[in-house]
Amino acid sequence: MMGEMIFRNLLHRPIRTIIGILAIGVEVALVVLVVGLTSGILTETAKRVEGIGADIMLQSPSAQVFLAFSGSPMPIKIADRLRELKYVRSVSPVFLQFSSSGGIDLVYGIDRDSFNAVSGGFVFLSGKDMEGPDDLLVDDLAAQAKHIKVGDTFNLLNHDWHVAGIVEHGKGARLFVPLLTLQDLGGAHDKASVFLLKCTRPEHTEDVINQMQPLLPNYKIHALKDYLSLMTSTNVPGLNVFVNAMIALAVCIGLLVIFLTMYTTVVERTRDIGVLKSLGATSPFIVRAILMESVALCFGGIAAGVGLSYAVRAGFVKAFPTLSILITPEWVLRAGIIAMIGAVLGASYPAWMASRRDAVEALTFD
Amino acid sequence: MAIAATIPIAQFEEQPHAVGQGLVRKSVEPILKTENLWKLYHAGKVEVPALRGVNFSVQPGESVAVMGPSGCGKSTLLYTIGGLASATRGTVLVDGNDLAAMSDSERTKLRRSKIGFVFQRFNLLPTMTAKGNIAIAQYIHGDGFDPHRFDVVTKLLGLEGRLNHKPSEMSGGEQQRVAIARAIINEPKILLADEPTGNLDTKNSDVVLEMLRQLNKELGQTIVMITHNPEAVTYFDRVVHMRDGVIVDGIPAD
Repeated sequence: MMGEMIFRNLLHRPIRTIIGILAIGVEVALVVLVVGLTSGILTETAKRVEGIGADIMLQSPSAQVFLAFSGSPMPIKIADRLRELKYVRSVSPVFLQFSSSGGIDLVYGIDRDSFNAVSGGFVFLSGKDMEGPDDLLVDDLAAQAKHIKVGDTFNLLNHDWHVAGIVEHGKGARLFVPLLTLQDLGGAHDKASVFLLKCTRPEHTEDVINQMQPLLPNYKIHALKDYLSLMTSTNVPGLNVFVNAMIALAVCIGLLVIFLTMYTTVVERTRDIGVLKSLGATSPFIVRAILMESVALCFGGIAAGVGLSYAVRAGFVKAFPTLSILITPEWVLRAGIIAMIGAVLGASYPAWMASRRDAVEALTFD
Repeated sequence: MAIAATIPIAQFEEQPHAVGQGLVRKSVEPILKTENLWKLYHAGKVEVPALRGVNFSVQPGESVAVMGPSGCGKSTLLYTIGGLASATRGTVLVDGNDLAAMSDSERTKLRRSKIGFVFQRFNLLPTMTAKGNIAIAQYIHGDGFDPHRFDVVTKLLGLEGRLNHKPSEMSGGEQQRVAIARAIINEPKILLADEPTGNLDTKNSDVVLEMLRQLNKELGQTIVMITHNPEAVTYFDRVVHMRDGVIVDGIPAD
């Protein structure tokens, strides 16, 4: 009976119900997409770094695990010391630069031969490897997103590059240029942002790290098989705060909309509340009816929010192929719970107000 | 419409002192009694007395019409004896329970089991069908949906063909019959009606009044009704006049 009453009440004002559902849907989608975008970018970046095929990555002491914030570069001579270590098969210095023209891109300046030795080489989809100082390799997703093809001239970091080849994605960055040229452009001769090491056998990784630690105290040394687990929002400065702030904002939107929806519902149904009281409905009954209506609205909103999240992701990924939005069941559930708590909180005051309403005044309300 | 033919005999057994065709009223305790009942409203800092020491009683199975000019306290009396409003002073005994000494939630529980309301403006839930409006009273009462009782009451009030219609799809008379069905579905001891024919035309008024009379005469339903309609009082055992918050007389209708 209560269910029928709630269902009919929701149907009675379809526009208000739809707006309420959409508002909660936006709240849920905002949470799912913000978290999905951050974790998607981190995970995708981590997978690309893992995909290089190196066993160890060395960063400067001030570097962050997130490569875009790699801190001050290191002397390239470190590579020579690393090559001398036991079980080290090859070492590749990489110089990183951020490009913000036409989107944010991480550019790898690589030494072709050593990078190929560490990574096993690129898989070319078209074109060929870098040969000249202005050659540029682009992965397939970036090429699709930027409409680049082999032979094109592409301006990056205020420099015109010749697109030499399109490679399969998953080797660290999406854009690769010769190390020396990027060092020149960055004014960082003989510097490297990271060193990638390949061991003679993967099981020697720990031994090599143990040799590196006394040699390079305070430097950041990561075994790349563990890299994915390090790429969380808590390891990126400010990201966790940003994510939490966005979630709080989303909750506020949902809470306020539910509050407004249920408040107007209660005011509109003042007479009905009086009728229920005249029939002997207790205050808890009235509160339960209002809260359950809010919860029902919320379930609709959660479903709409999940649908909206997938639709937005599909749209974004189509428009920006390099973008990665990771929607996980865990965060869908969390977003649902957050929305539900917001809905119950938002409806609490109107429900309390309804339960406290004087029955006689309610029955004579116009 | 022969109500006695459709209502279970248990109704009569529960009302051994009911007044009606072939039934004899015995001298018993009033089912409803007020003693020196006062109700004050506050308009800012000013106290406005709506009831000023009302002494009033109703016997089980009796039907009483309360008449008086607007603002004389009729509705306040009805809401107070129905437990919707609390008394400022005095006692209100409903089936032996003193409402004045009860908390709001205790009054709610008593109202749920012993009192049914019918209002001038019908006050049906607009989102629900006629069936839903009647069934919600059973649901709130706590015994769940009783299909037998539901069928008896809806047949009694001639609502069988209108049960799936919403209030907006029904005439005023039909809406009021639904409201009466809702009020009596849980077999309350007392039916309180606040100008139930006030929004109806003459034809529908007569139908509603006739149904209330049948409920009283054939089932022994105790009824207290507020009305402005002089013709309506002919349907009741007794008429009570109110003026300025007090009862000024009590005369037999015929």
